[in-house]
Amino acid sequence: MRQDQSIRADQVDAGAPAQPGSEDDVAVGKSPWQLFWRRFKRDKFALVGGVLIILLIAIALLAPLIAKMVGHGPNELFDNATNEFGLPIGPSSKFWFGADRSGRDVFVRTIYGARTSLAVAFLATGIATAIGVTLGVIAGYIGGSVDTVISRLIDVVLSLPLLLFALGISAACSVAKNGCLHGLVQPGLRLVVFIIALFTWPYLARIVRGQVLSLREREFIEASHSMGAGEWRIMFADILPNLAAPIIVYTTLIIPSNILFEAALSFLGVGIPQTTPSWGRMLADASNSQLFTYAWWMMLFPGIFLLVTTLAFNLLGDGLRDALDPRSRR
Amino acid sequence: MRGSRKGLALFVLGLISLLIATACSSNNGGGSSTQSNAPVTKGGTYRSATSSFGFVGDFDPVGEYTAVGFSYYQMLLRTLLNYTGEAGAAGLVPHPDLATDLGTVSSDGLTYTYHLKDNIKFGPPINREITSSDIKYAFERIDSSSLVAQYAFYYDGVIQGMAQHSGPPRNISGIDTPDPKTIVFHLTTPTSDFPARLSLAATAPVPEEVAKCFTKPAGGYGNDIVSSGPYMIQGADQMDPSSCSTIKPMSGYDPTSHLILVRNPNWDQSTDNLRKAYVNGLNMSIDSNVDDIFNKISSGSLDGSFYEIPPPTVLQKYSTDASLKPYMHIDPQNTTYYLSMNLIVPPFDDIHVRKAVNWIIDKAGIQKAWGGPATGTIAGHIMPPSMAGLGTDYNPYGTPGNTGDLAKAEAEMKQSKYDPGHTGKCTDPVCNGVILLNRNEPPWTDAEAGVVAALAKIGINVKARELESGAAYQTIDTVKTGAQVGISMNPRWGADYGDPNTFAQPLFSSQALIPVGTSNYSMVGMTSAQAKKFGVTYPAGGVPSADSQINSCLPKTGQDRETCFQGFDKYLMEQVVPWVPMFWANQVTITSPTVTNFAFDQFTGFIALQNVAVSNNASP
Repeated sequence: MRQDQSIRADQVDAGAPAQPGSEDDVAVGKSPWQLFWRRFKRDKFALVGGVLIILLIAIALLAPLIAKMVGHGPNELFDNATNEFGLPIGPSSKFWFGADRSGRDVFVRTIYGARTSLAVAFLATGIATAIGVTLGVIAGYIGGSVDTVISRLIDVVLSLPLLLFALGISAACSVAKNGCLHGLVQPGLRLVVFIIALFTWPYLARIVRGQVLSLREREFIEASHSMGAGEWRIMFADILPNLAAPIIVYTTLIIPSNILFEAALSFLGVGIPQTTPSWGRMLADASNSQLFTYAWWMMLFPGIFLLVTTLAFNLLGDGLRDALDPRSRR
Repeated sequence: MRGSRKGLALFVLGLISLLIATACSSNNGGGSSTQSNAPVTKGGTYRSATSSFGFVGDFDPVGEYTAVGFSYYQMLLRTLLNYTGEAGAAGLVPHPDLATDLGTVSSDGLTYTYHLKDNIKFGPPINREITSSDIKYAFERIDSSSLVAQYAFYYDGVIQGMAQHSGPPRNISGIDTPDPKTIVFHLTTPTSDFPARLSLAATAPVPEEVAKCFTKPAGGYGNDIVSSGPYMIQGADQMDPSSCSTIKPMSGYDPTSHLILVRNPNWDQSTDNLRKAYVNGLNMSIDSNVDDIFNKISSGSLDGSFYEIPPPTVLQKYSTDASLKPYMHIDPQNTTYYLSMNLIVPPFDDIHVRKAVNWIIDKAGIQKAWGGPATGTIAGHIMPPSMAGLGTDYNPYGTPGNTGDLAKAEAEMKQSKYDPGHTGKCTDPVCNGVILLNRNEPPWTDAEAGVVAALAKIGINVKARELESGAAYQTIDTVKTGAQVGISMNPRWGADYGDPNTFAQPLFSSQALIPVGTSNYSMVGMTSAQAKKFGVTYPAGGVPSADSQINSCLPKTGQDRETCFQGFDKYLMEQVVPWVPMFWANQVTITSPTVTNFAFDQFTGFIALQNVAVSNNASP
């Protein structure tokens, strides 16, 4: 009780009279980030999403430790985990999530799958964000023919048949020992990251460009101009920080779709090799030969993890959007 | 010949599949339990489906070198000699087909003379009598390099005047057609299996009036094959051969969706004692979902499977349910599944590494990935026992339970130059990132983990590349791209005909090394001159050759020949070591009760489509 009162006193000292019931009125004297946090932590769904993501990241980071506790790694094969027809055994005390066709532990592979999914999602989203934001700001701010070129490029990439193109690239890059583009794009994880990034940046670029178009007419940009700031400084020091909110929101929302994209590519047998555990690949293994009608565990567990992960990122993304941009509240 | 290929199966990913998985787990739809006792009668259609045609020569008989293609040709084409379409050794014995007898050979073994039966006509729209010139024309097509005859090595250099050239088909000096019913082959060297080579589809008669329109690029004639056998491609009678511009693809064959064969009205049963031709036709459709194919067979909407390997769930169901067992047909093929090591790619340019790989691979695990013992016998050497009679007791790298032996593998690796510290593991950087090529479909993908893990045990860390089976073959049958692949698990090899040489020349002779379309994936016997020509790096230690061993066996006949090729197999296993033989495959065919006569063709290694009978009264 005492503590509560003292906090209240602090707030009063700071010159912000508390008026219970109208949250936004508390705004006076608070930074936008403090405001954001206040709103965000009221959103229980977003918090659950955040907690789940932290858990998943922890699981991914601790995967080798968990494997050590279980006693075997993701690629260890157990002869007795398949029957005479090569069909896997179900969940047991040794294999909590059962085994797969090669006699590997589905539990350990699911845990390791989190690494692949998150790594691909973060890497690809990071690259896509960097490209998308840079090109979006340039297009929106400079305008003219630069804008035309970048906007048409966005149109072109968005109109490519995504899966077919991905299949094509991966086939082309799979054969040569050093992959494509002088080894930059290697089959496996790197190729998948490349494909996903290639197809995601335009969404961000488009949004950022729109925001910049309205921002560049604002007074503070004019002020910056009159004080002799260069174009690049204005773009990346004045405009960019104002875009933090939409970038964070859209990045968070792109991550789950990229996780699904990775799963889809792995499901189609593109890129990530069989020995790298990946949820999409595990789902593909389960649906190959309709194995899931027999070995339901091969589909259920990676499926649940995939579901929970994408759901968590979506909840978090929604929560972030609501908290950062109250006007868009449903 | 190469095995079949399968297209990429595309599925829709989504949580829906998860829901389906949980909603309908552990439910195996049962098949009919009533054994059909219907008499074997003519009529009906063999309705089947295949995940892809997997053709490597666009179905043109001159270049099509797949067992699957040969199976269809058994319905479509007749050759001088052919087979009875039955299982076992009898199914590998050539019989006269277009020829009146097995031919007469001169005392020096250099001249073979054949006479053609009367009243054998091409199917519509050609409808004329088949003459010896039509057979000679087939040989002329083999030598036109733009048509890419993939097994030309059986004829080039064997028949006088036969060699590849870049122009359209032209006269061959070593083949005489003194009259329309006689054909004479003049050989350069005695070749005892020469008659069997006349049973391959590339030598089937071809009407020049149609085929002259398809001299390049390769494969065009595959859309307009003129029948000589009991069946023709549906729509053949609609084709207008009056000029090249009026020839359109026959409607019954679409490489992306279907192959429909109907009876050839010009075929006369009395001239053909090899084919029963019970069914009125064949309806083969493409269904990329193998499980769907077997479900449809189980429900009776398809009559049986073709080349697809039944998934393990299907194998278990038909093996354990006594009422279903009669509908599962297990027949040993003349096929070896193997890991091919590339002799010009480090570290596999070192025989000790190749031997170590032979010791370490868990063949039992691989067999399990394929569905267990029903799918084949674990192979201890290269040639299936049906070829040269070398049986299962010869197994130079045999290990208890066939699961591999780490100690022996390490002992072998210690002798390798890539393990200078004698650690038992490959420590040289070349062993990191070795490309392992695989198909991107089960059961190949299911077997991959075991192979990768085994290789890692001796320090060979691979980068697995998974490609659609056609693309995988193209990668290794092109010397230049094949030279990037250290070890490949995608190929399999089946005998072309009942002679051990079909496991020798095509696979291990330097003659079979051609820039594109080689089947010597291990590049056995490559010379430095060849390497230069192909633009690949030649290993400093050279490449072992098997040419002289093959050439010493070729003139031999009978038991001598078998013994010689047994020695050749041992030479390969001990002195060259190009492969890790995994298993000798069985073809497991699942039929529905509508199939009243199942027949297995030992020659193709698949169901004998020309001899199967059904009771479904369906029209093609």
